[in-house]
Amino acid sequence: MASSSASGSTATNSSTTGRTRGAGTGTTFTRWLGIVTIALMAAVVLFGLVLSPADVVQGESVRILYVHVGTVWVAYLAFIVTAVSSGAYLWRRTHSLTWDRIAGASAEIGVLFMAVTLLTGSLWGRLSWGTFWVWDARVTTTAFLFITYVGYLAVRGLGGSHEQRARRSAVVALLAVIEIPLVHFSVKLWRSVHQDASVAGRTTDVTLDGLMLFTLVLATVAFTLLYVWYVLHRQRVMAMEDALDDKGLDLALAERRREAQDATSTTGEVTN
Amino acid sequence: MDDLGFILLSYIAALGGAAALVWQVLRRGRALGAELPDEDKPWI
Repeated sequence: MASSSASGSTATNSSTTGRTRGAGTGTTFTRWLGIVTIALMAAVVLFGLVLSPADVVQGESVRILYVHVGTVWVAYLAFIVTAVSSGAYLWRRTHSLTWDRIAGASAEIGVLFMAVTLLTGSLWGRLSWGTFWVWDARVTTTAFLFITYVGYLAVRGLGGSHEQRARRSAVVALLAVIEIPLVHFSVKLWRSVHQDASVAGRTTDVTLDGLMLFTLVLATVAFTLLYVWYVLHRQRVMAMEDALDDKGLDLALAERRREAQDATSTTGEVTN
Repeated sequence: MDDLGFILLSYIAALGGAAALVWQVLRRGRALGAELPDEDKPWI
């Protein structure tokens, strides 16, 4: 019985899915977006490592900050988008799973870039402060934020239906985003060795060299485009995973109904 | 330039991590795309 149901399931699966090869998650827009992003990333490497000047105080280590600032910006953006999408999922009466997928895709790249932020910050800290790690307010709260969103991704991986996944992860995302202002204002709330905002700060008297500012903006734009590209592709992958999951569930249910009918008819024959 | 190793490691971590994520999502997208009909892909 087991072998016949398994072979029956496979046959039904291949006949109902109607395979169309070569159609992934790309569109004309995302292909162009990808090309522009690759070009800008190449420019970031060129300007960040070669063309931009060394800093008067920090020396060559300032080159790390182009990556550090770009990735932390995207991580913040990603976590805010995760929270907004989660809120939209819970608030909208339709409870569209697209919002949940955007939230999940956004959190994934946010976690990666937050990890890169911590790593690059640690490397820069070794060159500037003489140590890889200090239990500083900004550094510690950033690490805590990273761990929180790793937890968010773990919650997404728990079992249950798509709706259950969406609902519980949305609640976690709305709680987790509260940490972002805490991280951002940690340098003001506590005594911190981490510097305050250099470019966007209202009270800053820092003047950046034109090429350094250009490289910083270039890196921020490049990483933001990469983020947009990733979220578009990843939420489509998630939609396909969900669709395949639903198809598998439908097939399993149909199989169980067929087995139940077979068992009923066999029992009926024996009784008669 | 004593800081070169640290600087290069920063760029390799950022770009390498991003490239790994991109490669993984493209590979998964192609694999799933071959399993599903076009009506399950509204972006096409």
